[in-house]
Amino acid sequence: MSEWDIAVERTINNNVPRVHKILSQYPYIQDLARELRKAKLEVINNLEYFTQQALESVKKIGGNAYYVSSLYEAREIVGKIVGKDKIVVMGKSMVAYELGLREYLKELGNQVWETDLGEFLIQLANEPPSHIIAPAIHMTKERVVKLLRERLGVEVSDNATHEELVAIVRKFLREKFVNADVGITGANAVAADTGSVILVENEGNIRMSTVLPNIHIAVAGVEKIVPTFYHALIEATVQAAYAGLYPPTYINLTSGPSSTGDIEMKRVSPAHGPKEFHLVLVDNGRVEVSKDDVIKEALLCIRCGRCHLHCPVYRALGVEWGRPPFTGPMGAMWSYVVHKDTRPATLCTHSGNCKEVCPMGINIPKVLEKIKWLDNDKEHNKA
Amino acid sequence: MLGKLIFQNLQKFGFPYPLDKSICSGWAKDIPRGGETIIYTSCMYQTASLSDIFSKLTPYAEKLSAFSAFAKLIRPSKEEIERAYTVLRNISSMLRNRGIQFGYLYEEEPYSGAILLELGYLDEFAEYAKGVRDFLKQRGIKRVITVDPHTHNALTRYNEFINFDIEVVSYFELLGEIKPRIHGDIVVHDSCLYSRFLGKREVYRGLLNSAGLKLVEDELVTGKDTSYCCGGPIKPVNRELSEKIAKIRVEQLRKLSDKIVVVCPMCYANLSKYHKVLDFAEVVE
Ligand code: SF4
Repeated sequence: MSEWDIAVERTINNNVPRVHKILSQYPYIQDLARELRKAKLEVINNLEYFTQQALESVKKIGGNAYYVSSLYEAREIVGKIVGKDKIVVMGKSMVAYELGLREYLKELGNQVWETDLGEFLIQLANEPPSHIIAPAIHMTKERVVKLLRERLGVEVSDNATHEELVAIVRKFLREKFVNADVGITGANAVAADTGSVILVENEGNIRMSTVLPNIHIAVAGVEKIVPTFYHALIEATVQAAYAGLYPPTYINLTSGPSSTGDIEMKRVSPAHGPKEFHLVLVDNGRVEVSKDDVIKEALLCIRCGRCHLHCPVYRALGVEWGRPPFTGPMGAMWSYVVHKDTRPATLCTHSGNCKEVCPMGINIPKVLEKIKWLDNDKEHNKA
Repeated sequence: MLGKLIFQNLQKFGFPYPLDKSICSGWAKDIPRGGETIIYTSCMYQTASLSDIFSKLTPYAEKLSAFSAFAKLIRPSKEEIERAYTVLRNISSMLRNRGIQFGYLYEEEPYSGAILLELGYLDEFAEYAKGVRDFLKQRGIKRVITVDPHTHNALTRYNEFINFDIEVVSYFELLGEIKPRIHGDIVVHDSCLYSRFLGKREVYRGLLNSAGLKLVEDELVTGKDTSYCCGGPIKPVNRELSEKIAKIRVEQLRKLSDKIVVVCPMCYANLSKYHKVLDFAEVVE
């Protein structure tokens, strides 16, 4: 068995039964998922309206908000906010990866650190992520031992426990958090009515990235917008549950820069947390897709990563299927959304497992069928 | 280019790849020709074993101008043909034993178009479906009994593309009580189409259970949302991937039982490379 085969089998055995158990233990989650689907669909069908509302809401609460159509614009804006010679701590974000932010900010002369454990390992190994919520699932424990030893120059014993490995990374990153100038995160959801950003996590790295530095920048695709604050909370709940991590250890909510109302109850900003809050809402192919009756369903994805672990093609191909970070069934859809790459869809065997398990009820095989058709259409045009 | 090639072959040979179509009808002897209700094989069982050879040849197909000359040469082995014929004869005798009357179109039976649909050649599929429908209509056919999931799926999806008012029913749904031909524990490898797209998972499981066969289940191997594909549908596009999936699948199934039972000729062909596999119609009567 290859390293991938071993790692993915362990992951499936750990995660799949856990999700089944969560869903039977907390039956309200499935109702919330259905409610969320409806709300997200409403946004996708009125993307312009909700984007505008979200931008205005962020400004109303003292934040800065931007809408960008391309990845170049996104990089430019983030680059300007960050500047150079800064220490940047990042919370795992697919959009940040999509935009190539880490590399871009490094090129500008900044020190940039991923703080999610999996993403940090990926950064050390200089490899693409293999799964959307567990980016280093392709690495066995044995491999992590080697990696930390080689890249951090620390002593790690061959039979170090999982706990010991986590402690080594914790020690290394702690110093980065404390000295960071800017924290960059993604967003699980953006509430259009309040301009709040919701982030779910377990490690505590997002809390620190969003609160310790003076500046917090959140980058999110426009599909992350939900109509209300209430829906944003639902998205966090549903995402965590279907990812198999329920209850999540932390749900972070950020509404503008830090503030206090403690002196005569007048709300002033900043307080202990960041002085500045910026939200960058990214199109990069999403708006066009929102107009396609079949493919727009891809925008409902909440990145729980559940479809990956039920998919025979992902199991066999791993990170080679799709354009990182867009791997697996969701990645076969999203490689098209973001890169207009139709090829990953052509490898779908339509096993239909993804459709069975997707909390958003996305008929993934149907979306991929349409993308395959577009791929074939390109063939016709060539002929 | 694959779509163009398949489409050309369909016109020339009545099949997605070059084929001597006499292979398809050889199993049937005493079934009346035509009629309002027909059994419809789409030549899937008869040719399943050939998908392997053709997936090897596909990359060169366009360069081989004389590709069609192979049609007469490439045949399943004698044993493969015999096995497929036995399966089809068993199915038809199970149906007849239950008093179900049906005819067969013999060498005139058209292919369903399933491969076009599954590879995303939706325009070609719609066009092809029209031809099949018109042909069936001309023959006065009102009801089609399918024997495999790919054909069943293709026919039930005709309506999304064209008007199609012929009833489509799977042979499973017409069987009442059946008896086992084998004994002991079995593990069922579900067909993705039957299980997750066509809602028939409980139909064949129920039949096997009622025949007294004991189905070994495991949440991570045979669950509705966990049981994997055999890899067959991806074979024309990526042979290596198809084989890797099949291998993984067989390893999973073998942990539960040595007797792997399938309900689809493509699953049979793909999984058989790694383990002895039995078709539903080989384990019951
Ligand atoms: S497509 Fe569905 S199952 Fe897959 S990651 Fe997105 S929400 Fe989760």
